[in-house]
Amino acid sequence: MSAARPRWRVIDFGPRTAAEYVATNRALLEARQRGLAPDTLSFLTFSEPAALVGFHQSVDQELRRDYCAHHGITIQRRVSGGGALYVDSTVIGWELYLDRHAAGSCDMLDIARRICETAAIGIRNLGVDARFRPRNDIEVGGRKIAGTGGTYDGDVLLYHGSLLIDFDVERMLRVLRIPAEKLKDKAIASARERVASLKELLGGAPSMPQVIAAMTGAFAAGFGVEFVPAEALSPAEQDLFAVALAEVDTEEWVEQVSRPVSETPVFEGLHRSAGGLMRVSLSVDSARGRIRQAWFTGDFFVNPRRLVADLEAALRDSPLSGWRTTVERFFASYPAEMLLLGPADFMAAIENALQASAAGAVADAAVPA
Amino acid sequence: MGAVRGCNIPDDLSYNVENNAWARKESDGTVTVGVTSYACSLAGEIVSYTPKKVGKSIEKDKSCATVESGKWVGPVKSPVAGEVVAVNEAVTAKPGLINRDPYGQGWIVRLKPGNWDGDSAALHKGAAALTAFESKMQVDGFKGC
Repeated sequence: MSAARPRWRVIDFGPRTAAEYVATNRALLEARQRGLAPDTLSFLTFSEPAALVGFHQSVDQELRRDYCAHHGITIQRRVSGGGALYVDSTVIGWELYLDRHAAGSCDMLDIARRICETAAIGIRNLGVDARFRPRNDIEVGGRKIAGTGGTYDGDVLLYHGSLLIDFDVERMLRVLRIPAEKLKDKAIASARERVASLKELLGGAPSMPQVIAAMTGAFAAGFGVEFVPAEALSPAEQDLFAVALAEVDTEEWVEQVSRPVSETPVFEGLHRSAGGLMRVSLSVDSARGRIRQAWFTGDFFVNPRRLVADLEAALRDSPLSGWRTTVERFFASYPAEMLLLGPADFMAAIENALQASAAGAVADAAVPA
Repeated sequence: MGAVRGCNIPDDLSYNVENNAWARKESDGTVTVGVTSYACSLAGEIVSYTPKKVGKSIEKDKSCATVESGKWVGPVKSPVAGEVVAVNEAVTAKPGLINRDPYGQGWIVRLKPGNWDGDSAALHKGAAALTAFESKMQVDGFKGC
């Protein structure tokens, strides 16, 4: 006779404000750690448009603060790592609160991979070909449909993600400081090639119950557990939630990391070859020596088309000094069909952007004080 | 110099094995706090570091800094109580120093200890630390650094 399957709780929180979302994360993580809560999978939507920066990110570096203020977009800071994102009522958040041992590994990258692969199966259950793309995306045909990130404290972890049901790409471009800003009218089309929503892919938006059924089905099978639905938090969890909300619904929490925009310049590189004209916008964290984001556009042709989005994902948050290795490793294992274009062309575009950055640094240094 | 499953565990430090953190009393009376090479191996490359501010009081086993690797955010829990007297500017600029030199240049904070004798008595040292890390790695199913 087989042993009883572990039981995890599942909760649908419904619409929450950004601050309530962050407070829920903190409260349930703490409740799980204190043994006041079981392993839990939860879902929510956002009752207000919001821009959420990662725990270590600076609001000024990631967001257009003026645009957010002018359009009533709340700014909040997540407890998890990763990049900034824009959310509204068309985004579903899913969250997993687990004892680390239930995740089946002590290696954090392995844990993230297993959770993301399971979540991708859940999204596939809705009828789209969702796949995990390292390090933290879930994509369909190369277009991102969910971003993820996590946090841990002792033996307890929270790993969560967004899921785009329907999505306002134009607004995302205005809220987030991303390298596409210099593309102007082409930016929206360019962003649509990189981001997908379930409504667009399926021809209609799935309901919250459909998403919950699809995701819980995947996690039940993937982790060998059964789910017990709950309607609300326990009184002890609600107390922790009230304390957490008072702490995060404050300027002190949201603004706790502050770094200047000047540390994150965007450099443009152009490269013309037999394969066409290639442009790369490279957003760099100069203080920490990392590529924040790369954005390739132009009239060149690659097969599969998703190669560009996949290369950008590989370059995201990678060491600036190791960019050649990152590109070489990517192409070494990528099944690309490129007749007139090769890895050297992508490298030349990046090289040109970085030369522009070096020239800029010299020019700045040459300006008399 | 000790090692467990390929992870360097220097024998001159005091460890909280559960929290994967170390402490060292310096000649000027301050205490340096850091994370173990085992913690670095589990986390992967650390890309962000936010220490508590200088002057802040830290309770024993509470967070003295937050680090991020592979989109995971986690606390570094100080093995001893104290007031933060220095944070590591080199690590602020290059968080990956924690991975490269966790017991040297990659230190996390320096504290003016509140009760070094009392707090450090409960920490593991020398051979006892190696045994405790081996047990933890066994429970964690860790293959090696």
